Amino acid sequence: MTTDRNALVRVEGLYKYFGENRVLRGISTEIDKGEVVVVIGPSGSGKSTFLRCLNLLEEPTYGEVWLENKLVTPVDPYLHPDVIELSKTYQKLAAENPEMSREALIEKIRAEDLLHEKHEGKAYKGRMKQIYAENYININLARQKIGMVFQQFNLFANLKILDNITLAPIKLLKMDKAAAEQKAMALLERIGLADKADAYPQQLSGGQTQRVAIVRALAMDPDVMLFDEPTSALDPEMVGEVLDVMKELAASGMTMVVVTHEMGFAKEVGTRVVFIDEGVIKEEAPPQEFFSQPKDPRLQDFLSKVLI
Amino acid sequence: MNEWFARLADQFRLNFITGDRWTWLLEGFKMTLIITFFATLIGIAIGVVIATVRSSYDKNKESMQKKGGIGYRLLSILNSICGLYLTVIRGTPVVVQLLIMYFIIFASSTNSTMVAIMSFGINSGAYVAEIFRGGIMSVDKGQFEAGRSLGFNYIQTMIYIVIPQMFKIVLPTLCNEFIVLLKETSISGYVGIRDLTKAGDLIRGRTFSAFMPLIAVALIYLVVVIVFTKLVRRLERRLRNSDH
Repeated sequence: MTTDRNALVRVEGLYKYFGENRVLRGISTEIDKGEVVVVIGPSGSGKSTFLRCLNLLEEPTYGEVWLENKLVTPVDPYLHPDVIELSKTYQKLAAENPEMSREALIEKIRAEDLLHEKHEGKAYKGRMKQIYAENYININLARQKIGMVFQQFNLFANLKILDNITLAPIKLLKMDKAAAEQKAMALLERIGLADKADAYPQQLSGGQTQRVAIVRALAMDPDVMLFDEPTSALDPEMVGEVLDVMKELAASGMTMVVVTHEMGFAKEVGTRVVFIDEGVIKEEAPPQEFFSQPKDPRLQDFLSKVLI
Repeated sequence: MNEWFARLADQFRLNFITGDRWTWLLEGFKMTLIITFFATLIGIAIGVVIATVRSSYDKNKESMQKKGGIGYRLLSILNSICGLYLTVIRGTPVVVQLLIMYFIIFASSTNSTMVAIMSFGINSGAYVAEIFRGGIMSVDKGQFEAGRSLGFNYIQTMIYIVIPQMFKIVLPTLCNEFIVLLKETSISGYVGIRDLTKAGDLIRGRTFSAFMPLIAVALIYLVVVIVFTKLVRRLERRLRNSDH
C-alpha cells in the first residue's frame, strides 16, 4: 500500500454499486489537513455518492476510507495482498496454475472479483478481523469528527435553532448545557443569526437555515467538513450569504470537501479541484491550472458548458 | 301526552333512582375509562417497540445482512416475532382474544380487570404499531441522516429526532385509535367485568325495561366520543398553526 501517513482522509479503491448501477468505479485520493477540495462534475457522475461514502452515509461496495489513519469502512480484502494470499481461492488458483507468479494471481483475483467472503477459510477470516481490530474507529466516533452539510439543510424540525446546535455537543461530547449554549450563541453571533436562537427551522429563510446547518456541524469541532451541494436548493439571492460563511470557514483553516456547481467558489477558495465523471476522478489540479489548462476532453466539454 | 311523560318519569325513576341504580352506571363508566386508559398506555408501549423493530429491520437489513453476525440474526428473529404478533392479533376478533386471555392464558388470575387491560392493550398495540410505523416512514429521511452524520447512533437518532416528529404526525390517528378502543371495551362484560355496557345491561335485567338503560349507555359513549373528537380537532388545528 502506498500511504501518506499525514493525510487526514485517505480513500482507496472506492466502488459503489446500486444494484446494476455502478456509480463509483474506483476512486482513490487523499485529503490533507487544511485543504479545500472542491468536487465538480455532471449530475449523476457520482460526486455526491463519493462524499456520502466518506462518512458512510452510503456504504461503499468495495474500498476503504481512512480518517486520521483509522479505518472507517470495513476491511476490503482486495486492498490487502496478504489477505488475498490466505484465501482458499488463492491457494486453489495457485495449485491449478503453478506457472503464475504471486502478483499475477493476486491481480487475477482482483480483476475478476473471485473472493467469496464466506468460503475463504479461517486464516483469511482471522487476518481480516485482525486488520479491522487494529485499525478501526467506531463509525459514530468518526462521524463526530466529520461535519456534514446537506443540500436540503436537514435542520431538526422538532428543535429550536439553539437546540439544533447544542443537541449533539451535549449528548455526544457530554458538554455542560450552559457551556454548549454559550458556544452555540457565539457561533450564531458569527453568522449574524443570534436573534433566531429561539426560532424553529421553518421560520427561517433557506439561506439562514443553511448557515445554521453549517454552524450545527461546526459545534462538534470536526476535523473535516463535507458539503453536499450546499447552495443548490437555495434561491439565487441567498447563495452569496452561504458561500460567505464557507469562505470564512476555509480562511480559518478548516479542511473542507465541497461538492458544488459554484465554479466561482472553486476558483476563489479551493486549493484543489477534482473532476468526477462516470464514477472516476478524471482530473484533479489546483484551481488555477484546472480551469486554465484542462486536459481531459470530458472536462473541457464540461467547463465550456458551465463557464460562460 | 301528560300520561306519556308520566310513564317516562316512572321509567326513569325505576331504572336510575330506585336503589341508586345510577351509581351502577357511574361505576361502570369508571371501569370503562380505567380499562381504556391503561390499555392505551400498554398499546402505545407495545406499538413503539414493534414499530421500532420493524422499521429498523426494514432500514438496516441490507447493510446488516452483508455483515451477518448476531445483531442481524437477533433483529430478524425479533422482526419475525413482531410480524407473527401483528398477523395473529389483527386476524382474530378481539372478543375471542379476550376470552382466550381470561379462560386460558390467565385462567388462574382472579383480577379480571387486569386481564381485560392486558387483552385490550395487546390488541391495540398491533394497530398502534402500524400507525407508528407509518409515522416513522413519513419523517423526512434527511432528518435521520443529519442525526447520523453528527455521530448519533441509530437508537439515539430515533429517540431525539425521529420519534418526536413521528408523534406529531400520528397524534390525530392515535386519538382515533383511543376512540375505537373506548368503544371496544364494551365487550368486557363477556368476562364478568361491570363496565358501562354491562352496567346498563344489569339494570335492564333487574327492571325488565330495556329502553332507558340502554339508551343512557349509548348516550354516555356518544358524549365521550363527541367531546374527545372535538379535543382532537382542536389539537390538530393547533399543531397545524404552530407547524414547526
